[in-house]
Amino acid sequence: MRGLDGLIMNKKSQDTVLELNNIIKIYKTKTSFLGTEGKVVVALNRVSFTIARGEIFGLVGESGSGKTTVGRLIVGLESPDDGKILLDGYNIIGLRGKTSKHFRRKVQMIFQDPYQSLNPQLSVFDTISEPLTIHKLGNNEKKEEAVREIMKAVGLAPPETFMHRYPHQLSGGQRQRVAIARAMVLRPEFVVADEPTSMLDASISAQIFNILIEMRNQFQVTLMFITHSLAAARYLCDRIAVIYKGNLMELGNADEVIDNPKHPYTQALIDALPKFGHCEGIKRYETLLPKERGGTDGRGCAFYPRCRVADPAICGRQQPLLKTALGSTHSTACFYPEPSIENGSKSEECFYGT
Amino acid sequence: MRSWTPDSGRRVNPNSMALLEVENLSIGYQTRKGYLHAVDDVSFTLEEGKSLGFVGESGCGKTTLGMGLMRLLPPNGVIRKGRILFDGEDLLEKTEEEMREIRWQKIAMIFQAAMNALNPVKRVHEQIIEAIVTHDPSIGRQEAYAKVESLYQLVGIPGDRMKDYPHQYSGGMKQRAIIAMALACHPKLIIADEPTTALDVIVQHQILQETKKLQEALGISIIFISHDIAIVAEVCHDIGIMYGGQLVEYGARSEVFDSPVHPYTMALLASYPRLTGEKRHLIPIPGETPDLISPPSGCRFCERCQGADGTCRTGDPVWIDISPRHRALCHQCAV
Repeated sequence: MRGLDGLIMNKKSQDTVLELNNIIKIYKTKTSFLGTEGKVVVALNRVSFTIARGEIFGLVGESGSGKTTVGRLIVGLESPDDGKILLDGYNIIGLRGKTSKHFRRKVQMIFQDPYQSLNPQLSVFDTISEPLTIHKLGNNEKKEEAVREIMKAVGLAPPETFMHRYPHQLSGGQRQRVAIARAMVLRPEFVVADEPTSMLDASISAQIFNILIEMRNQFQVTLMFITHSLAAARYLCDRIAVIYKGNLMELGNADEVIDNPKHPYTQALIDALPKFGHCEGIKRYETLLPKERGGTDGRGCAFYPRCRVADPAICGRQQPLLKTALGSTHSTACFYPEPSIENGSKSEECFYGT
Repeated sequence: MRSWTPDSGRRVNPNSMALLEVENLSIGYQTRKGYLHAVDDVSFTLEEGKSLGFVGESGCGKTTLGMGLMRLLPPNGVIRKGRILFDGEDLLEKTEEEMREIRWQKIAMIFQAAMNALNPVKRVHEQIIEAIVTHDPSIGRQEAYAKVESLYQLVGIPGDRMKDYPHQYSGGMKQRAIIAMALACHPKLIIADEPTTALDVIVQHQILQETKKLQEALGISIIFISHDIAIVAEVCHDIGIMYGGQLVEYGARSEVFDSPVHPYTMALLASYPRLTGEKRHLIPIPGETPDLISPPSGCRFCERCQGADGTCRTGDPVWIDISPRHRALCHQCAV
C-alpha cells in the first residue's frame, strides 16, 4: 500500500521519527496499611519499535495491555523505568524547561473522551488557540488565521459558526474535531491518538478516521493510533503492532497482520471478533485455551497460560523475542508462529465488529 | 421447583406464539426545553424462545425502549400511548405493585455497565440469594444456595469463587454473575442493554456464546440492545434498526443484513470498517441526528439521506413490507 514498504526499507535510518528502545515501565501498587506488600505490575516489558515519518502506526491491544501507557510515555506524561525514546534521534526522557517545551510543540496527543478532555469554560476558539498562546506563536491576527485554517481542515466549517461555541453546544463528533484541531494547530511532527473514537458512534467514527487520514496527507504528520479495534486499525494504519500484557506480540503491515496473523494471540483476537454477514466458511484459528493453564511462574511467554499451541517445555520457561523472518517486514514474538494460511477462506461479505 | 438442567428448562414450543407484543409504543421525556419524543410509535412482536436485537446510535431511543418495557423510566419519562402485551396481558395497565411481581420473576434486565450494579460490600452469592428469596419467600436459604451453585455452573464461573466479593472478580466474571442473577428467577424474557460494552473482545465473545447457548437451552426470549451491529447479529434472530426514536427497519437477521433496504441501515453498514475483503473508503453519514424535541416533519432521516425527495419531507413515512419477515419505514423503499 501507499508505497510505505520501500520507505521503511530504504531510508530507515534518516526517516525514523520515533524510536522506542527496550522500554520498561513498572507500576507499584501502594503497600496497604495492614502491612501487605504492594504488588508490582510490569506495564511494559522491553517494548521496542520504530515509526517512520508520515506513517500511521496502529497499536492494538485489550484493556490493561499497556497501549495507553506507551502513548503517555511518548508524549512525556510519564517516564519509563528503563529504555530510551528517541524523537528525531534525540532522547526525550526526562526533558526539562526549555527543551521540554520545545519537545511538546512537536508531539501532541488526542485523548479518548472528548466529553472530558475539553475545558467546558473555554470556547472553541480559546481551546484551539491556547497552544499558540502557550508557545507564544504569532500575534492575535495570525492566531485567528491559524485557528480558522485548522478548523476548516478538520471540517468545522465555516469556522464562524463554531468559534464562539462552548463544548456543551457541540456534538461528540464535533468535540473530537476540536480536540484534533487543538493538537494539530502547532503543526506537530508526531501525534498520539488514544482511542479517539471509542466514545463515538460508528457513523461519526468514520468521519474522525477520514479526518486523521486527511491530516496525515495534508500536514505530513506522523500518527500513532491506539485502539482496541482491529478493523479500525486495518482501515487507518500502515503498520500494526499487537500488544498483550505489556509485550509486543506481532508487528507488521496492517493487511498482513490481519490477513495472515502469525501470533496465536492475534489469531485468538480475530476469532473472537463478533461477525455478521456470510461468515460460514470463515477460517477459525482456535488458538485460545478455554481454561487458563496453571503452573506458570511468569517466566514464559505472556500468552502461554491461554495458548493452545504452546509447548510447556519452551513457552512456559522463556520469553520469545520479537523476530523478523529474513526478507519480511512482519515480526512475531512466538516460538511457534503459525505459517500463513490461505486467504481464500475469507469472505468479502463477512463483516467484523469492533 | 424446576431444577437447573438445560433440558428441564426447555420451554420451546414448536408452534411458538408471541410472548411480547408491542403496539404503537410512544415514550417521551418532559424536559425543560419541552417534550422529547424519545420513542415514537414502535411496534414489534417477540416470539417465545427467540431473540430480538435493537441497533442504533446514541440517542436513538433504544435504551428508553428497554426501560419502558420494564416500566422503569426516570420520573420525567412518560409512556404516551401504545400497548405492551406480555403473555397476553397489557403491562401498561398493571399497578406498580403488580409490575414489581413481574420484574425479575418474568422479565429480567441486564443493565448497561452491569458490573457496577453489584453491591461492593456484599459477597456475590449473597446478592443472588437475596434476589431469589425476595421474589419467592417460600424458597429456603439452603435451596437458594443450591440454586446459585447450579446457576454458577450454568454461566461458567468456578464454584469456589462463589463467596468472593465483587472486587475480586474480573469484568467478565462480574458480567457472568449478573447474567446468573438475571436467570435466577426463571424469567421468560431478558432485556440486555449493552451487556458487553465494557468488556474486551475475547471476554465479550465468551459471554455472547454463553448467552446464545443459555437462550437456546432454556428457551428464554431475549431483547438485546446495542450500538454494535455485529454483536446483535451474533446473538439475535430478528433485528430492529432504530433511528431518531423510530424503528426504521425490522426483520429476520439475514434479510436485514443481506438486503438492507432502509437508507439509514445501508449508511450505517457503509460506515463500518471491515476486516476482510477490499479496503473500502468509509463513508460517514453526513449531518447530525434530528432534534427529538421538535422532530422534523416527514421522514426523520431525510436530511441525511441521499435518496430523499420532496415527499420524504412532507408526508410521514409508511411501513413497506419487503417480505413476510422484513419491513422498512421509508417512502423510497417501495420503488
